[in-house]
Amino acid sequence: MSEWNSLYDAILTGDDKTATAVTEEALEKGAEPLELVNQYMVPAMDEVGKRFEEEEYFIPEMLLSARAMERSLALIQPRLAASGAKPIGRVAIGTVKGDQHDIGKNLVRSMLQGGGFEVYDLGMDVPHEKFIEAIQEKDVNIVCLSTLLTTTMPSMKTIIDNIQQAGLRDRVKVMVGGAPITPEFADQIGADCYGDSAYSAVKLARNLISA
Amino acid sequence: MTKPIRILLQPLGKTLEVNEGTPLQDVLFDYGVEFPCGGRGACRGCRVRVLEGTAPISPEEEKLFTLSELEQGWRLACRMSAACDLTLELAQWELSILADESPFQFTPSEGLGVAVDVGTTTVVAQLIHRGTGRVLGVRSALNPQAQHGSDLMSRIHYAIAHQGQAKLTRMIRETVGRLIAELAAANESGEKNLRLVTLVGNTAMHNLFCGVDVKPLSEFPFQSPQDDLMEFTANDLGWDCAGDPVIRFLPCLGSFVGSDLLAGIMATRMHCRENLTALIDLGTNGEILVGGREKILCASTAAGPAFEGGRISMGMRASSGAISSVVAEKGELHCHVVGGGRPCGICGSGLVDAVAAGLDLQRIDAFGRLANGSKAMDLQTPVSVSQRDIRELQLAKGAIAAGLHVLLDDVGASANDLESFFLAGAFGNTINSESARRIGLFDCPLDRVRPAGNTALLGAKMALFPEYDSADSMQAILDRCEHVVLSGNALFQEKFVDEMVFPTS
Repeated sequence: MSEWNSLYDAILTGDDKTATAVTEEALEKGAEPLELVNQYMVPAMDEVGKRFEEEEYFIPEMLLSARAMERSLALIQPRLAASGAKPIGRVAIGTVKGDQHDIGKNLVRSMLQGGGFEVYDLGMDVPHEKFIEAIQEKDVNIVCLSTLLTTTMPSMKTIIDNIQQAGLRDRVKVMVGGAPITPEFADQIGADCYGDSAYSAVKLARNLISA
Repeated sequence: MTKPIRILLQPLGKTLEVNEGTPLQDVLFDYGVEFPCGGRGACRGCRVRVLEGTAPISPEEEKLFTLSELEQGWRLACRMSAACDLTLELAQWELSILADESPFQFTPSEGLGVAVDVGTTTVVAQLIHRGTGRVLGVRSALNPQAQHGSDLMSRIHYAIAHQGQAKLTRMIRETVGRLIAELAAANESGEKNLRLVTLVGNTAMHNLFCGVDVKPLSEFPFQSPQDDLMEFTANDLGWDCAGDPVIRFLPCLGSFVGSDLLAGIMATRMHCRENLTALIDLGTNGEILVGGREKILCASTAAGPAFEGGRISMGMRASSGAISSVVAEKGELHCHVVGGGRPCGICGSGLVDAVAAGLDLQRIDAFGRLANGSKAMDLQTPVSVSQRDIRELQLAKGAIAAGLHVLLDDVGASANDLESFFLAGAFGNTINSESARRIGLFDCPLDRVRPAGNTALLGAKMALFPEYDSADSMQAILDRCEHVVLSGNALFQEKFVDEMVFPTS
């Protein structure tokens, strides 16, 4: 279990060189890809999230850890796919139309990837119909909507309404987040939940999947 | 059980929760309201204005305020207790407003002029004798729109989502009109003929004052279709003022970068300089200019209110009781408190100093983390800087530094190539440039840094004279300016994260 602890440490400290080196070595020596994810990467990103919540980590540290995790994951993913391992869920994520801020959205993406989800990142300033397409074509279970601007908050409601009108609302859960968003707003627009941090997003996504 | 009462303080944007019946004197002192007579209702020193909610009028207030002041909501904080939710404007804020007395070259002209800096938070107007260039009077007020959001985006949201556009337009026109009427009433010079009023402000202020739909400013690419010079008569604006002056809101530079920065260029003569120059204006919104005679790049970024003390746990304006500077000596922190005595908060310049000193003493690491997992760094009892305050500052300075980096990169230069680096605005005047450099707000040599004062007001004043006022001379500046969109810019995103980290020494 503790054989690849240095992978956990490297992700926690945001050292992407060590993280990828350890991952490569582990895979060469026949480590189980899924085990690397579940035993080292997921717990490391969990710890990163906790430290962020406790104000010990800030955005730069979190992004460094996310990068280390993403690069290691990129090495592992082909093996995971080959082994037929299933992700715990599929997520489409994007910053809504009219808004080009994506640091927060990228963090949520990384945390969800680190948490074992398959994530389709639709980018920023995403036209409403892209979310519908993702539901139809990628068969996602969760749609995550982000915005930093007060003025683009109404787009979130439009997207949820569009999903409803397309008859897809029963197929997906919708999670919303971003600086101006509140739990009350999430309720009002008919979202399934509100995430107040990248860390909570993972817990919430897991709950949504198991619900 | 008493129920909690919420009191929102403007322009601090701070909400207090107090028990019903709490005397306001007990809580407002910490936010800079002073009680010169000790709270006996004998002077007007503690006056505050009730913007929302109601407060009964005491006999003392009846005596000390005029009927119209009472109608406007003016009350004595020492006579008030918390009975219902309230929004209060703290009049004492006015003291810290930066006017401008800088001399400049001009051709003597006829009559009077008024220059107005329409800020997101405050409005300042100066009455100028166009023959002598002398400042005859200055008046300031809070921008009343701040009731509907302290930052631009929430105000634009109010204009759109709550059909508030007409109201916001009416509010700012009334306020500017009132300031001009006050200036005229107090004018004791022989000259009474008001000829010209020039206004400057960011694009949202321009659009709201001029009655232009702000919807295009609400989403990417944040470009108003109507941000040119706009001209009005007093009649158009519903102002009752003698002399039938021409009223001009000067043209914007692009996106959110407005005529306040055009005025900044005029005031610093950036457009005439052969060598590379930068100007940053740190207000509610942060604006950045880089360039010279050939070309000037401009950008704006929501720097957040950290530099003004907003959203800082013990933040306040630079008035009595504020820690305004901090130095590290022999491993200890020494604070300067405005007015001396026990501190009750910290203003922007103090925060920048405190973090710079904390970095030097290794009480704060490069990632902004407080040493030994502590949650706050004590300055002088009872004031401290919390971990979250440091985070707010990291976001604010990260955005400005990243914006500066992007513009310099665009002209193929580095901070070292800057011949002059102007720090404009009230905060730019009080910030210690060494500390600003220490926290990584910029990294050009200190001898290039020049505090430039309220360049928006100075430029607006210059535009009252024919050599600056001609459409040609302003157009010549506008033609040189190029707006750079920072949101969605990949280099900006990358640098924003990099620049949140503090330099190691």
